[in-house]
Amino acid sequence: MMLRRLTRRTILGTACLLSFAPSLALATPATDFVSSFGGQLAHILNANTSTDKKYEELLPLLRKNVDIAGIGRYVLGRYWRVATPEQQKEYLKLFERVLLNAVTNQMGHYQDVSLQLLGSVPTPAGEKVSLIVRRPHQPDITLTTVVAGTPPKVVDLYGEGASMRMTQRSDYTAFLTRNGGKVQVMIDALRHQIADNAASRH
Amino acid sequence: MACTRSIMQRKRSKTSATRVLAGCLALLSVGACSSLRNPPPKDPEALEDYKAANDPYEPLNRKMFMVNMVAYKFALRPMGKAWRDNVPKFFRNTVDNVNETWGQPSTFFSDVGAGKPRRAGDSFMRFLINMSAGVAGFFDVASFTSYRNHTTDPGMTMGVWGIKSGPYVFLPGIGPSNFRDSIGYALGQALVPINYVPSGYGLIDFNWAYNILGDFNNFSNQIDQLDQLEHQSLDPYAFMRSAWQQKRQSDIDALKADNRATVPDWY
Repeated sequence: MMLRRLTRRTILGTACLLSFAPSLALATPATDFVSSFGGQLAHILNANTSTDKKYEELLPLLRKNVDIAGIGRYVLGRYWRVATPEQQKEYLKLFERVLLNAVTNQMGHYQDVSLQLLGSVPTPAGEKVSLIVRRPHQPDITLTTVVAGTPPKVVDLYGEGASMRMTQRSDYTAFLTRNGGKVQVMIDALRHQIADNAASRH
Repeated sequence: MACTRSIMQRKRSKTSATRVLAGCLALLSVGACSSLRNPPPKDPEALEDYKAANDPYEPLNRKMFMVNMVAYKFALRPMGKAWRDNVPKFFRNTVDNVNETWGQPSTFFSDVGAGKPRRAGDSFMRFLINMSAGVAGFFDVASFTSYRNHTTDPGMTMGVWGIKSGPYVFLPGIGPSNFRDSIGYALGQALVPINYVPSGYGLIDFNWAYNILGDFNNFSNQIDQLDQLEHQSLDPYAFMRSAWQQKRQSDIDALKADNRATVPDWY
């Protein structure tokens, strides 16, 4: 009798808990990953430290959680095969900086943020995990990350309905097409862009 | 008296016609300049990129983009920044509210055309509330209710109907578009009732003022994004084209998928 009551209470209690925490029941490895990565990112962005310090802390976090090499290859499109191994290596190194700059340039818009996971959908490119970024005194932003691989990594990010890697690919391939497909010209342009960014940061 | 009325009527017709004409002329000029059409490349991979960009008039579009960017750099940006830095936020919000409210009939008819009763109801109620309690649209009272603001335009409605976008075009003063959405833009202007106001009572002047201020206010809100586009992309034209095309498709997909019931959420 006691056992039966306990079981009934346990079942009722568990059902009650699950009804209050639907996200718990919907959690997947991809949502757990995004939650953990997003939390670490928000922690760095919200910290009361200098921009340079944040810059230093962000790089290893991005390296660990974002498939920078995969995105870089995708972005270069058909010109990846045209590039020499040295150019590929140099390009990926610069691309990493470009990604980091893209995050740090947005830091001012992402102070005191909190994240709320909305859910996930499996797609051929990976699992799409949507989340809302809540910012004080500013409108909320809905972002969708695409997570794939083992261990899981971010392979794409959608903001305002546009895929980051696809937009970047259009940008780079158009630039290369207009410059006779010369990868070295693009590498030089990226170097300039990074130098300009560093100068405007200081 | 008759002469004054005739002048006012001409002025009034100009209000709605200017924007429509600008779009139509740009479209016609695109058609006329076949020499400015990019021929499809022979390489299969390059052809794939060409098709994905959907921009056969790229040489002409790039010229239009350049005209826009020069105007932006030397005139619009400094003016927009001065507007943003010196005009109180309250006044800028009011300009936004008036534009949004007076444009609601266009949103409403686009929602009806797309067969989305919940969205149509939302725009109808927003118009009603903001025109009355919001004092002719100056205050966004409707946002305190469950009738949230949303955007639907005739181009999106045509997209829901399955009408293809046609090639990408960049219209000076308007921005990224395509054949379908340029026609949609003209239709959208025709669906805004203030474009048909009778002469007198300063309504024509009000229409001009709110249109110009509204566009200017919208533009000043986008200065940071445009600056970022210039600094963070190697080819800002291609970056903007891709981002706009994807966003547009995503908006149409969201409209298609919006099958909410017309009863309130709590019901």
